[in-house]
Amino acid sequence: MRSPSEGRRRHCLRQLDAGPLREYFGRPFPSPALDYRCVDYVALDLETTGLDHRQDQILSVGWVVIRGQRIDLASARHRLLRCEGDIPAETAVIHQITDDEAAAGLRQGRVLRELLGVLAGRVLIAHHAKIELSFLDAACRELYGGGLLVRCVDTEVLARRTFERRNIPFRPSELRLHALCERYNLPRYRAHNAFYDALAAAELFLAQVAYRDNGNGFRLGDLL
Amino acid sequence: MDVELIEIQEFLAKHPPFEQLPTEALEQLPRQFTVRYLKRGSAFPPADDQAAHLYILRRGAIELRDAEGELVGKLAEGDLFSDVCLSGVDGSDTGGGGSAGSGGSGSESNTGNSSESKDSSDPSNNNAGKRTGKPKPKPKLSGETVEDSLLYSMTCAHFEQLGSAHPEFAEYFDGSTTTRLRKALDAFTEPTAATGGLMTVSARDLLRRTPIKASPDISIREAARIMSDERVSALLLMKDERLSGIITDRDLRNRCVATGLSTEQPVREIMTATLSTIDADALGFEALLQMTRLNVHHLPVVDGKRLLGMLSTSDFMRFQSTSGVYLVGDIHKAESVAALEAISDKVPELQVQLISSGATGGHVGQAVSAITDAITKRLLELAEAELGPPPVPYAWLVGGSQARREQSSHSDQDNALLIADNMSKDDDHYFRQLAERVNDGLNACGYIYCPGEVMAKTANWRQPLATWQQYFEHWIKRPDPKALMLASVFFDLRALHDPTGLFDGLHELVLELSRDNRIFIAYMAANAIKHRPPLGFFRNFVLIHGGDHNQTFDIKHRGTVPIIDLARVYALSSGLAPINTIERLEAASETAALSHDGGANLIDAFELINTLRIRHQASQLRNGEKADNFLAPEQLSPLERGHLKDAFLLIDRMQETLGQRYQAGRFG
Repeated sequence: MRSPSEGRRRHCLRQLDAGPLREYFGRPFPSPALDYRCVDYVALDLETTGLDHRQDQILSVGWVVIRGQRIDLASARHRLLRCEGDIPAETAVIHQITDDEAAAGLRQGRVLRELLGVLAGRVLIAHHAKIELSFLDAACRELYGGGLLVRCVDTEVLARRTFERRNIPFRPSELRLHALCERYNLPRYRAHNAFYDALAAAELFLAQVAYRDNGNGFRLGDLL
Repeated sequence: MDVELIEIQEFLAKHPPFEQLPTEALEQLPRQFTVRYLKRGSAFPPADDQAAHLYILRRGAIELRDAEGELVGKLAEGDLFSDVCLSGVDGSDTGGGGSAGSGGSGSESNTGNSSESKDSSDPSNNNAGKRTGKPKPKPKLSGETVEDSLLYSMTCAHFEQLGSAHPEFAEYFDGSTTTRLRKALDAFTEPTAATGGLMTVSARDLLRRTPIKASPDISIREAARIMSDERVSALLLMKDERLSGIITDRDLRNRCVATGLSTEQPVREIMTATLSTIDADALGFEALLQMTRLNVHHLPVVDGKRLLGMLSTSDFMRFQSTSGVYLVGDIHKAESVAALEAISDKVPELQVQLISSGATGGHVGQAVSAITDAITKRLLELAEAELGPPPVPYAWLVGGSQARREQSSHSDQDNALLIADNMSKDDDHYFRQLAERVNDGLNACGYIYCPGEVMAKTANWRQPLATWQQYFEHWIKRPDPKALMLASVFFDLRALHDPTGLFDGLHELVLELSRDNRIFIAYMAANAIKHRPPLGFFRNFVLIHGGDHNQTFDIKHRGTVPIIDLARVYALSSGLAPINTIERLEAASETAALSHDGGANLIDAFELINTLRIRHQASQLRNGEKADNFLAPEQLSPLERGHLKDAFLLIDRMQETLGQRYQAGRFG
């Protein structure tokens, strides 16, 4: 998952028709040379009906913005999406989103437009970001005819690097969001939905950079 | 507002003063906050906060210090820090104003504040009162996160709006933050006379009046007149500022009137001269215990050599009768093992009662051990009554927690017999029977047989003095794993019944041999650092996973035992006589073995851990469960968790130091 360049962004901008994705590409990506503290972030989590973006659907999206190393709770959002077809019983158990709720949800286009507006000019934070990126990319292709490029910090990757650098043996389960939050003395939320997972990822990110920063800051590029 | 912030709203709603806000305001509240993470050791309030903020601690702990660097409080989960906002708003005193360290906004600091509220003239506000008598700048509070912390913060502007919209919310901030915090801290760490009975009050505090004194040379009539004038039932007789005796109503009756002695005789003729006294710092409980044991109604209280006053049984009337004392009284009267069993059954009940009256772990240990002592002594008396007097003198030794006076409820029995060297081979028959009777009796009373067989009825542990001397010489000069295994029993040894003082010489020998014996002490040190406190990488508690005790930690083996082990090493390395852990730490901190601070801190840690342990057990006993040592962190309040982590961290540090001093790794 290489961080996309400014050149790629300008290229995409030229290719796209007017619309939310084009507007998104209209804002420059934060430069990897910037001090990470000067960058705004959006911590995000998706709940989906499965892991495969080609056949599964997004059920809900939660996000919250981090500015100047503070999570701004005023920016907190949790959006349920209108869903086609039935929700597999096993995922419904996890997310507690029922068919009725999903049917009453918002259209994917509306949620994506709102999200792209928030994401423009910012860095995405997600835990195990591959899933989020693949689903958002697929949704953009479907709706706007072009893929999504975004600078992204994966809190799971940061955690793995920390373990490896300190030579601490770890089990895969220790890379899970909640296990890591516990390590950093972060609260455990009861609700298991896209918003609280996004918030937990945001908090985890703050903790990870606090432990990495010796007081002098470092380049955003070190996190990507 | 979106429903998604409900968990944050719930958190805020649980904590004052937000709980006072109406629901609509509460629903709007979370969105006014930002969330920050400060790793352990960060300055608080954070220097880079541009505007002044109010903070609520969601996770972690923060220590607040005044301008002199003295710890004035601790923020735990749910605690609020509003000083910065308040000092800049309306001048209402917060006990700690000033924009402590909010780098970019020095103008928030409002030191010349003149519109004082009553608070700072209050003499109890010792931050303010300590320095000069004149109006003074408010002490600045600044802090440091002592744990990884997650904070919710709100700008002072938002906070003001909230205050003006909800007067009942604003009212909350009239008092002083520091005072509130300190009170909370005190309430936890020092259950004082206000909350407890005889378990928490010292003999000194039970004294009501200055003692009535007279010379032993005055006449009996004069003494009686003074007692009558002063309305006292006993008179202390002093010669040159030294206590020479006591005379009571009963003495006047029995030794004067009844015998027809002339009242012109000097009072010293009928006084009781051999007096038992009690130290002013002893617990009320111990005083009452001593009086019950000696069957006296008056007990002089001394501070060193100085007489402070006299306790009489009526002084105890003001306190609820503590059944522990009456249990001991009953034990003295018990005529059979069955009777002792019935009394012993009440010990768990006593433990619960003591805890609910605010007793600390130390108090409970003293009380429970006193009862075990009394039962053991009574069993010895009963056995001797049956078997006849011993053929040669002997001493009944107790080991482990009973010796240290740190027992809780019913623990295993650890004991041994020390017999005078002039015993003949045939005499062992008597002592075996004596030991069996007492060991069996204790087992029946719930002090189950020692799994390691360390009991007087085991032949190895029923030996003449010479053999015991050889044992200890061997253990100390050639330490091996077995010696270490027995260390917690045999290096914590106390003579419970020893009419001829057989044990004194042995105890001295042990201390003599162990002091400065580096090899032996190094072995002991290696053993002492085996049990580590349950703290993880990020200062989280390390919990047991799975099994019967899932998600708990063993507070005894990973909390109290490490300190007991440390104290034993300090004491033995300096040849100190005390057996009780706190007494050992006190004595050791007067020597090179342990710094003064280190000693004081370990004592605090020990009391804290023990108190939490004993409270945990009391709550189990109250619920009709069996008491154990497995504590789940959720059982504790955030503040208690914070204190407990501090205590564990201290143990860890002291173990490190000890390990390095004796290079204990080499022996481990």
